[in-house]
Amino acid sequence: MPSIITNKKTSNDKNNRILIVDDEYDIALAFKIGLEDHGFAVDVFNDAQEALVNFSKSKYNLLLLDIKMPKLNGIEFYLKMKEIDNKAKVCFITASETYYYENLIKKIFNLLNTRSLFRKPIKLKELIKALEKELNC
Amino acid sequence: MYGVQNILAKIAQFSLESKKINVCGNDKAVLLAFEIQDYKNLLNILKEKDIKIKYLTNITKDNLSTCKKLLEYVGEMRHLDGISTNFSVSDSEYLATSSLIKMQQPQPIDQLIYSNVDEIVEQQKFVFESLWNKSTPAEQRIKELEDFYNVGRTEIIYNPTFSKEMLIDLVKKSKNEVLLLLPTINAFLREYRIGVFNYLKDAAQNRKLNVKILTPTNDEICTIIQKIKHNNLKNFIIYPFEVASQIKINTITILTVDEKESLVIEKTDDSKENFEDAIGLSIYSSSKPTVMSYVSIFESLINQIDLYEQLKIHGKMQEEFINIASHELRTPVQAIIAYCDLLEYHPEKKGEMIDALKRNATALQRLAEDILVVTKIESKTLVLHKEKFNLNELLIEIIEDYKNNMYYQKDNKDIKLSLKYSDIDKKTCIIDADYQRILQVISNLLDNAFKFTKELKDNGEIYITIEERKQEAGQRYIIINILDNGKGIDPNIMPRLFTKFATKSNKGTGLGLYICKSIIEAHGGKIWAENKKEGNGAIFSFSLPFEN
Repeated sequence: MPSIITNKKTSNDKNNRILIVDDEYDIALAFKIGLEDHGFAVDVFNDAQEALVNFSKSKYNLLLLDIKMPKLNGIEFYLKMKEIDNKAKVCFITASETYYYENLIKKIFNLLNTRSLFRKPIKLKELIKALEKELNC
Repeated sequence: MYGVQNILAKIAQFSLESKKINVCGNDKAVLLAFEIQDYKNLLNILKEKDIKIKYLTNITKDNLSTCKKLLEYVGEMRHLDGISTNFSVSDSEYLATSSLIKMQQPQPIDQLIYSNVDEIVEQQKFVFESLWNKSTPAEQRIKELEDFYNVGRTEIIYNPTFSKEMLIDLVKKSKNEVLLLLPTINAFLREYRIGVFNYLKDAAQNRKLNVKILTPTNDEICTIIQKIKHNNLKNFIIYPFEVASQIKINTITILTVDEKESLVIEKTDDSKENFEDAIGLSIYSSSKPTVMSYVSIFESLINQIDLYEQLKIHGKMQEEFINIASHELRTPVQAIIAYCDLLEYHPEKKGEMIDALKRNATALQRLAEDILVVTKIESKTLVLHKEKFNLNELLIEIIEDYKNNMYYQKDNKDIKLSLKYSDIDKKTCIIDADYQRILQVISNLLDNAFKFTKELKDNGEIYITIEERKQEAGQRYIIINILDNGKGIDPNIMPRLFTKFATKSNKGTGLGLYICKSIIEAHGGKIWAENKKEGNGAIFSFSLPFEN
């Protein structure tokens, strides 16, 4: 299974560019299809290190990051990404218990730029709603 | 001779003029020496003058403690059953009395026979010597009686300073084992200040004393314990316990020494820093039943602490398992929910989405099954349905199935899979086991082998070998080895190989090997794995006991 899923070229002026990083191929693809249906421009990476190499400032409006990933996890990815672009909004999603990460995220982020920690499984409708809310504020 | 005073004078004179005296007395005579003040005074004088006394008497349960006291005054004491005469003989004189025999209460002697006639004295000396030679040492007799009657003493010590001295004395004279229970954190600190722990540690190090200390704990105590324990002595153990372990003995300190003596100290004011100010009375006992009851209290408490610690570890492991298991379950569920939502809007992607749904549904089903099995294993409710069957035939069947299976054909048809035997009669591979579960184990191990050899295509080789092994106790085991020539087991994972969620591959649940281990061990067998010594690949093996 390829790790990059046909990432299209996106225009920079719309407020709808999303980066998804999740090591689960099926889930990442489903999110991409669902979000694209709703008008978002979505890039997906299954490998956080690859995503980092590909990342550049102002390329995305919002990042949706899975936390538990091999080699580089979602939080480590965020910290490295922040050095490149500290204005990008971030939402985390996890299949673990959220209380595991709540304190950690509160500590790291001081409530700026992100207040969203989603738990899998989440319905596509809810995910889209939450991401739009985050983008618009 | 008659007259108490006369007789007393005569006895005194007799005793003081000789360098050595042989005394023979019945069981009541001993009591006389301490009950009557005049005789007691005489005894003290004799001791001061260092006059050697050989004392022969009948030591009984009733005069036991008095005999022990008398031992400190006489040179030698011996015991002979049935001694009833009362006489004393020195080099030149002889005394005897019969008045002691009928006495109920100890009273001064009021009738005495005296002689200094040589023949009589010699004769009595001879009588004494004969009796003396037939007798047994007093120490031996005393010990026999004490062991037999469990005679010990129990004393209340009111003075805190004496209690402290008693504590230190007991600790100093201990020979084999010291058990110490402390009731509160402050008690620990008080005893730490008077140096008890350091003394015990030195004793454990230098004279191999076994020391066990039970104490409540907090951070401060933990640090002190680390300081005391730094040598890692095996015979000096401290058991710290927390409030949560439910140990509620917080008003007394218990000390037992060599399972022979105990000292129980009441704590009256825990706020005091000084040991003597904090305690009330204490109870000393050398009576076996009492001492042993404290020893058993101590042992039950140690047991309770152990169980509590095990419970804590178990609780942590359970929490970890639930966390990982829920993560693993939610992942395929998320995919299923998402694709179900998308399917109606994307008929053009129908094929891929249905594949994804199947994939994730299967993964979910496998995981749910495995988690259920693990839950049964953990709660010890996994039931084995045993029957007798031929393991060799099962293996042949499994291999056939694999070769016919569609899945195998698609991905793995080029891999060589074969069965080899060594020194074993194929017809006699009968085991008494749960057919389905053993099938599950072998399938799981084979699946793993295929996973690791898939990329080798037609260079992949999997062998299954069967052999027999005999253990010491005569039990015969059948051993199955599954060998592959894949890349082998990652040395980092080796130690955790058979634990839950140790390895997580795309198709695995992470529980397979743990379940295999539990099944095999439930049958009385063992399972193990190693990398091949020559060439690449791994060998997974398990043993099952032969049907006898």
